[in-house]
Amino acid sequence: MARSRSAPIDDPALKERFEREVLPLLPNLYGAALRMTRNPADAEDLVQETYLRAYRGFSGFQEGTNVRAWMYRILTNTFINSYRKRQRQPVTVPDEDIEDWFLYDKLGDAGIESSAESEVLDRLPDEDVQRALEALPEGFRMAVLLADVEGFSYKEIAEILEIPIGTVMSRLHRGRKALEKALWETVRERGLVAD
Amino acid sequence: MDLSPIDCKQVLQQIELYLDGELDPAMGSEVGRHLGACSPCMDHADFKRHLRELLKAKCGCGQVPAHVLERIRTVLGEEPDRPAGV
Repeated sequence: MARSRSAPIDDPALKERFEREVLPLLPNLYGAALRMTRNPADAEDLVQETYLRAYRGFSGFQEGTNVRAWMYRILTNTFINSYRKRQRQPVTVPDEDIEDWFLYDKLGDAGIESSAESEVLDRLPDEDVQRALEALPEGFRMAVLLADVEGFSYKEIAEILEIPIGTVMSRLHRGRKALEKALWETVRERGLVAD
Repeated sequence: MDLSPIDCKQVLQQIELYLDGELDPAMGSEVGRHLGACSPCMDHADFKRHLRELLKAKCGCGQVPAHVLERIRTVLGEEPDRPAGV
């Protein structure tokens, strides 16, 4: 994907296509990079490196292929190859024994009507929700980010992360439950429910 | 509540796949039919759906700082001051 050729694209039509199809993805890619690296300086470097690799590899990119998935795959690979090593994050897995309707049930047990449960979560500051997602172990965080924030299908996520669909499903399932638990802890810390 | 060939327990087990749009069409419409007639299951589904919307709204794409856009434009070999066509 990242070829050694560093010259810009010579073909004006190809360059125009890159600007039209790839450049508008920047806000999403930057947001995803922030969640992956967990700090703006690394996120900036990561998106720049991603665009550089994409630009170099774009002439080999087939028209009609999923350009969004292709870009996220470059982003993910670049992150895994460069930034993760630097961050030296220990490999962890989320709790096995979180129940399926953990957050729904906890909010219900705290006396919140089901119609009001969502409103409690809406009151959480953006940063709290971002920290909860960022605290997930990496493989699970990536799956939840790609599915719930970026809206990719299981098949696309499998291709982006280069893992089997079954692994996507189990990471999503467990990652979402771990996220629910983290959100519940945040809701309690914020005093949004009575203890 | 026994409104369709699948019961509440089965529906709740399928909610995640249903909301992800990953159920096969026959099962998807089965779950959809059940949800339309069973408000406890619909509450559960609405909660999970809202949770995803919340995540998307709070963790999704943010403002790209001007200097980041400039760095990307530099990759494309362009002058940083050129108005962004994004």
